[in-house]
Amino acid sequence: MENRRSPMLELVDIHKSFGDVEVLKGISSSIEKGELLTFVGPSGCGKTTLLRIVGGFTPATSGRVILDGQDISSLPPNMRNTKMVFQSYALFPHMNVRKNIAFGLTLKKWSKTEINKRVDEMLELVHMEGLGERHIDQISGGQQQRVALARALALGPKVLLLDEPLSNLDANLRVVMREEIRKIQEQIGITTIFVTHDQYEAMSISDRLLVLKDGVIQQIGSPVEIYEKPANEFIAGFVGYVNILNGKINERANGSNTFKISTTYGDIEIDSEREDIGDGDEILVVVRPESLSLKKPNSAQKLNGIKGTVLTHMYAGNHSKYSVKVGDKNIVVDQHNPKDSPRYQHNDTVELLIPRNAHILKRQ
Amino acid sequence: MTEVAINPVNRGWWYSVRAYVNKNLVNIFAGGLFLVLAIFLVYPIAAVLIKSFWGDDGLTFDFYREFFTYNFYYWSLINTLILGLSTMVILLVVGFCFAYLTTRGPEWLRKPLKIVALLPLAAPPYIFSISLITLFGRNGFINNLFNFDFNIYSWVGVIAAQCLAFLPLSYMMIENVLNSLNPSIEETAADMGATEYKIIRSITIPLAAPGLLKAALLVFVMTIAEFGNPAILGGRTPFLAPDTYLMITGEGDFNMASVLSVILILPCVVIFVLHNYVLKGKGYATIVGKATPTEKKEIIPGIKIPFMIITFAVGLLVVMSFVVILVGSFVKIVGVDNTFVMDHIVNTQSNTAIYNSIKVSLAAGFFGAIVGTLLAYVIMRGKFFGRHAMEMMALSGFALPGTVIGVGYIIAFNNPPFLLTGTIWIIILNCVFRFLAVGVEAGISKLHQISIEIEEASADLGADFLTIFFRIILPIMFSAFIAGFIYTFMTTMMSLSSVIFLVTPGFDLASVYIYLTAQLGELGLASATTVKVIFIVAIGMGILKIIARKTGFDVSKKQGA
Repeated sequence: MENRRSPMLELVDIHKSFGDVEVLKGISSSIEKGELLTFVGPSGCGKTTLLRIVGGFTPATSGRVILDGQDISSLPPNMRNTKMVFQSYALFPHMNVRKNIAFGLTLKKWSKTEINKRVDEMLELVHMEGLGERHIDQISGGQQQRVALARALALGPKVLLLDEPLSNLDANLRVVMREEIRKIQEQIGITTIFVTHDQYEAMSISDRLLVLKDGVIQQIGSPVEIYEKPANEFIAGFVGYVNILNGKINERANGSNTFKISTTYGDIEIDSEREDIGDGDEILVVVRPESLSLKKPNSAQKLNGIKGTVLTHMYAGNHSKYSVKVGDKNIVVDQHNPKDSPRYQHNDTVELLIPRNAHILKRQ
Repeated sequence: MTEVAINPVNRGWWYSVRAYVNKNLVNIFAGGLFLVLAIFLVYPIAAVLIKSFWGDDGLTFDFYREFFTYNFYYWSLINTLILGLSTMVILLVVGFCFAYLTTRGPEWLRKPLKIVALLPLAAPPYIFSISLITLFGRNGFINNLFNFDFNIYSWVGVIAAQCLAFLPLSYMMIENVLNSLNPSIEETAADMGATEYKIIRSITIPLAAPGLLKAALLVFVMTIAEFGNPAILGGRTPFLAPDTYLMITGEGDFNMASVLSVILILPCVVIFVLHNYVLKGKGYATIVGKATPTEKKEIIPGIKIPFMIITFAVGLLVVMSFVVILVGSFVKIVGVDNTFVMDHIVNTQSNTAIYNSIKVSLAAGFFGAIVGTLLAYVIMRGKFFGRHAMEMMALSGFALPGTVIGVGYIIAFNNPPFLLTGTIWIIILNCVFRFLAVGVEAGISKLHQISIEIEEASADLGADFLTIFFRIILPIMFSAFIAGFIYTFMTTMMSLSSVIFLVTPGFDLASVYIYLTAQLGELGLASATTVKVIFIVAIGMGILKIIARKTGFDVSKKQGA
């Protein structure tokens, strides 16, 4: 991110209301050239509406969409250089694969030879060579998806919009197409917005995620940032399982980055560069199960941990899943399982080690 | 806060005009269609209503008073209701027998019975007047054969003709109801020891009751609105629909014709309301999950035999009617002088009438399909207020008696600015708007299958509204367009009740020609012309069937002529 170019697409304070219901409450964001950004969030969060505003299918109540430096807010879809792949693919049922892909080009009055050349390129790009003459109902769902993609890319848009493109495919095909889409996207370096409600899909395909809830951006960041440094409790719980411990800052040593934290289960220390958290603040300690570890209690050694009792142990080969009771809380721990590593049984007393780099959040 | 985004690129006035039209074209179309519906459906009906209250001296109830004072008038109402009720009751029984046998009866009987029950669809309703006269008339084939002295120009004749004409309607609706009942319910009852009589009485009929009631009401409305049969066979008995015609042709009394029309609409409106609001959603869908194909069991003889007698007798009449019409076109007089002649078939007047009918029907089909497709699109995709009202208007032509719309057209389009009387256009427009319903419904059901995303995708790829309409929507809706075209063509070919008010002397349509020759007793000419109409309609039906198989949309499931 060092060399700051101007972004390919900018959203400026976008609001959208349907009647009295405000579904987007001031969305601002930007996408770099060649980046794949995912709009993700629970259903009804406004992600599809936001995508449709970018594509020009739904007018925003207020705000601006700026594409490559040009304000396109008031342009209809056909005058925008963004192209959409629809959830239902929206292929024209009365045309064959070739004609579908060529549709936009014929409207642009390209010559026949140019169109044929371009369509061939597109078919090759999506690995559908030789299927151009097929009718739409003669190809599989995954192939329809490829045609829809090829049709959108044929016009060489500046931004590609994908509206839950994988939701109509079965689970295995979804993974294949996800990788395929990512590969094509990187191959031609097209700036892309991808909408999905599936967190794992979003994590695995994106450069960055824009997580929406109730019409408000919860966090924008890379998959790693979203997972390891969630901006709030919602994000923390959004991908994967997370343990949350309530606590209070006892003392932040002057100039140091070490926070002394007291919880109802014992005192711990965490290192953090957060400047917005100070003495007396109520906080949440956010730790993933795989970041925790268990030790036999040993009074001689001062460890950064709290005491607990093992409730259940599930042995799953390469890892063990423990549920540990700490006070009134159940903490989930994923323990890596090299050969002969220590294991704990029901009712064992254990020391639960909190990593010093655990993420902390201000309690809201 | 609310910032209006301004397009930084100035593209000139032509661009803004195009953008405006592009954005609002659906609404512009909707406005135009509203206007057209208002002129050609609402205005004529309103004209009838006004004419019934508006005499030479302004607002008056005199015409209604007159109607209820003279027994000639009010008896036509009473007769019409009696005709409707008796046809309804008979067809409920006959339709049930047919439907029971084709859904639960012996395998070998099902297909032939079904074909016979649906056969009348291929012919105009008044074919049965002609066949009954040929068989039972004063010189009738059967009357002569057995030396009966039976008068077909009577109540019996009218009711019989009506029952035969509307058998398919009743059969299709009842069969549909019986098919939707889960056979395992009847089997359970049998398993618990109920006899088949008991099952029919306490399981089948109660479960089918809401559906049967709907069928009955529809038969009632269609029967009282039918013009041809009571007009040809009614003799001296007054009925509303033919009397309306006599009021105009005989007496030139438009006010009284309007009163009769309004009286005829009333039961239709009542039943329409019943049908759409009171009975809506009523009915028992007893098939939950997968329908289990069950072992066929024999119907007991005590039920099978009476049902077979009824269906065979009616079926025989239907088949004989078609045979007699066919034979009648090629012999001098059936049963009296059986010499083979070609006179009826090659008759110039008859052929001119057929030619006129084809011309009118093609035009009506073409314009009907265009208006229907546009209406369907606008209703489904528009976002304007009053879409529901528009759909109701479009479908009303189908629900209202043809005579009423016929009267409405001569009153409404007799003066400038809409002077159409005497032209071929008044007939074409009349048929376009009466038979709009099927084209609209075909279009709507087609559009239900098309995701709106297809249109958005086309826009995204650079198409403006007109391009989308002509290159995407029309091709996809083409089957609905063709269905609307052929259906309107077929019904226009057979339609009599409305166009009889609108034809001018010297310009006969086939249906009107059949009616006039039947009245004059020229049965050979009437039969031959009917055969030609049936032949043309059959071709249309064949094409429709092919479309139905290819696209899954079945318009032959609707009736009305």
